[in-house]
Amino acid sequence: MTASTASAKEGAPNTAARGSATAFRDFAPIAVVAVLLALVPLNFHDSRSMMTVIIAGMLFLSYTIAFNVIFGSTGQLFLCTGALAGIGGFGSVILSDRVGIPMTLSIVLAGAVAAVFGGLLSWIAVSRSLDTIFTGIVTLAFSLSFQNFVLGRRDLTGGENGLRVEAGKDGLLDTQVKPYYVFLALAVAYLILFRLLQRSHIGWAFRALRDDEVAAELSGVDVTRYRVYAGIIGSAMLGVAGAIFAHHRGFIGTSTYSFGSVDVRVLVMLAFGGIGTLIGPVLGAAVFTILDEILVSYAQLREVLYGVVTVGLFLGFRQGVIPALSSLWDRVVSSGGRGRKST
Amino acid sequence: MTDHLLRVEGLSAGYLGENVVHDVSLSVGKGEVVAVIGSNGAGKSTMFKAICGLQRATSGTVEFAHADLTAKKAHAIVRAGMVYVPAERHLFPHMSVRDNLALGAYPKRPRPEQIEFVFNTFPRLKERATQHAGTMSGGEQQMLAVGRALMSSPRLLMLDEPTTGLSPLLASEAYAALTDLRAEGLTILVAEQQVPLALGLADRGYVLDHGRIELTGTAQELADDPGVRKAYLGV
Amino acid sequence: MTAVVLDGIVLGLQFAILGAGLTLVYGLGGVVNLAHGQMAVFSAIVIARLIDHGVSTFLAVMIGIAAVGVLGLLIDLSLMKPVYRQKGESRVLLGLLLMLGVGFIIDGVLEWKYPIEALTIRISGDPIPILGVNMRRGSLIASGIIVVVGASLVLFFRFTTFGRATRSVIQDERGARLCGVNPATVRTVIFGLSGVLAGVVAVTRAMSTPVVSTAGVDLTIFALIVAVVGGLGSVSGSFFAGILLGIVNTFSAFYIGTYITTIVLLLAAALTIVLRPSGLLGEKP
Repeated sequence: MTASTASAKEGAPNTAARGSATAFRDFAPIAVVAVLLALVPLNFHDSRSMMTVIIAGMLFLSYTIAFNVIFGSTGQLFLCTGALAGIGGFGSVILSDRVGIPMTLSIVLAGAVAAVFGGLLSWIAVSRSLDTIFTGIVTLAFSLSFQNFVLGRRDLTGGENGLRVEAGKDGLLDTQVKPYYVFLALAVAYLILFRLLQRSHIGWAFRALRDDEVAAELSGVDVTRYRVYAGIIGSAMLGVAGAIFAHHRGFIGTSTYSFGSVDVRVLVMLAFGGIGTLIGPVLGAAVFTILDEILVSYAQLREVLYGVVTVGLFLGFRQGVIPALSSLWDRVVSSGGRGRKST
Repeated sequence: MTDHLLRVEGLSAGYLGENVVHDVSLSVGKGEVVAVIGSNGAGKSTMFKAICGLQRATSGTVEFAHADLTAKKAHAIVRAGMVYVPAERHLFPHMSVRDNLALGAYPKRPRPEQIEFVFNTFPRLKERATQHAGTMSGGEQQMLAVGRALMSSPRLLMLDEPTTGLSPLLASEAYAALTDLRAEGLTILVAEQQVPLALGLADRGYVLDHGRIELTGTAQELADDPGVRKAYLGV
Repeated sequence: MTAVVLDGIVLGLQFAILGAGLTLVYGLGGVVNLAHGQMAVFSAIVIARLIDHGVSTFLAVMIGIAAVGVLGLLIDLSLMKPVYRQKGESRVLLGLLLMLGVGFIIDGVLEWKYPIEALTIRISGDPIPILGVNMRRGSLIASGIIVVVGASLVLFFRFTTFGRATRSVIQDERGARLCGVNPATVRTVIFGLSGVLAGVVAVTRAMSTPVVSTAGVDLTIFALIVAVVGGLGSVSGSFFAGILLGIVNTFSAFYIGTYITTIVLLLAAALTIVLRPSGLLGEKP
């Protein structure tokens, strides 16, 4: 324990002192991802249905990065990604269409509301020192309550019939190719945010937390505060992504943000790519979006396949693809003379 | 000393790839009482856990009643007749004394004469028969832990620091009870920091230091050894 | 008023047995069986198919319950092995995710193969008045079955050697091993038993409402709520919480409205965790 405390202490000045030399290495992968994803519409821009699929994929990439901030970085099992995105979505639509607030402002406000809820959940979990499973159940209860609320308060949410969205109908979000780039920009911004958080003092604290809570506490990290920060930031990201999607899609319903259609996929995507890694969500979102498209004609089989993939994934491949690749890379590189751990 | 009940050869064990116990060999004869003495952190508990299957040994063999028990699971070792009473006791806090004792006989049903024997050894347990284990005092819990172990009529009783958390008075009471059990012919292997008590009970002893056996001999030889006297008897 | 309470008890008994199955498996090995409701539905559909093929209702019920028991045994012997090799939080997380996956598979297969199948067990006869309320025979028989099953469970855990061994693993796994109990065997048997309890849920529920092939997720959620409120690992807690929540459920459904009812139940579970993580009774079985 003394050893890990010492290394945690060393970590801080190191991260802070790592200057522009490492900035390139840290952000280059994001640039590569951005360029690659920017090229995608060149192939599909004339197929409306393909663009819908790809945009949904981009949306889930954003969700997964946000979930990664909460779960991947600080180990809080938030089983309410869909609900938080839904608070953003329904919140923003209600604010813009009913209250008449400009769309951009309503998106920001709705994101803030999601952040408040997420921060509150996180605060409860941390201050009552709930473990993974209890955090999971409390957030799941929240998630299902939200779903029931959406179903029940038809006057606000349209209930089973859903809600037609007016704001954003004729703007940047209406067509197919333009919104793709909006979502791409959002995902890239989230990736940068995730990386910045990792590089910051907070991120160092997050990592110390993940490695050893006791050591982190001993070295003066305020565990509670950082967990709640992660909860707030991640929830705001979810809320904003959910809100933008609502204005783009022009229609939201009970299944848009349900546990079954959001949380499950986000969890599988992140676990597949690698929990806590930068590129893991990109890989997970890409693979499962493609898989969904392949399975589109076997819709009934999709749930079975998700189950099989989930079981197979966690049985045989617990760490995720990116960490597996990176440890393979480490082995290759270190056998060539030098070793470096990268994510 | 040809009729070994327990024979441990070259046992090493530890945590996270680092051995705490190094190449330990010891034996216990039938009907013998053997003490392993050593200070806190000498590796006594790790050694016991490795012997009785709660922890995997990195090397070495464990032979009990001429059967190889190396790397067997804890429950199988218990059923072979070697019962371990850890310092932490591991009682069932929300079960009555009687239920705790009943579990000691697992997988058999508890026989009334066994319960009677335990109650005779520890009359206090009889008074508390229906009380939950978690609500009892440290001394009573220790009695219950030993009593539970006796329920299976073990061939070897392994006690890890039976005086943990007990006042000096209760500690000598515990050893008085062990002396009674010894008179019944029970084979006992006991790890202890309270060296005078342990050497008073035992026939033979081993001194464990930094995970290695540094010295072995009869209880009298150890009690007379200048090193032991200086380190453990405060003389 | 009396009617609402009686209906609540009838529903609560179903909740109780649902939670008991989930709570046992969690108490023993830390696995939150997120496929518990799906296992119940699996058994319901097996029974419904058998009845469709002309098997007598009684035999079909027996086979259906046995089938889900075997399913439980198989899941424990295969998928749960690597879970039990893990420790602490990672065990809980892996168990939860694997059973989530199993839930998808069962759900997916049932919705794919038998999308409109449902189990209804009709009990004919006039309602029987109890405390001045006319109760349906189906509800009464279902409640009777659950009371018998529940009482047998209590007797089993209290007075049998294996039942005591089960409690010992829940309270102190290491202590259990030191008594010669093999936790792996206990877990396997109890996973099977939990499956049987899921089957009992399907059958008793089918006596008052059709159990449709898509009901799995809802049943799992109810099981989770009841188990949490009762205290994870406590069977008596599950029965207490089940009946309590059953009454809360019918009351709020009667006086407030459906969607609030579910929210009330969910909040009850969340509040229990936040205020009394060990459950209402605050003790293990």
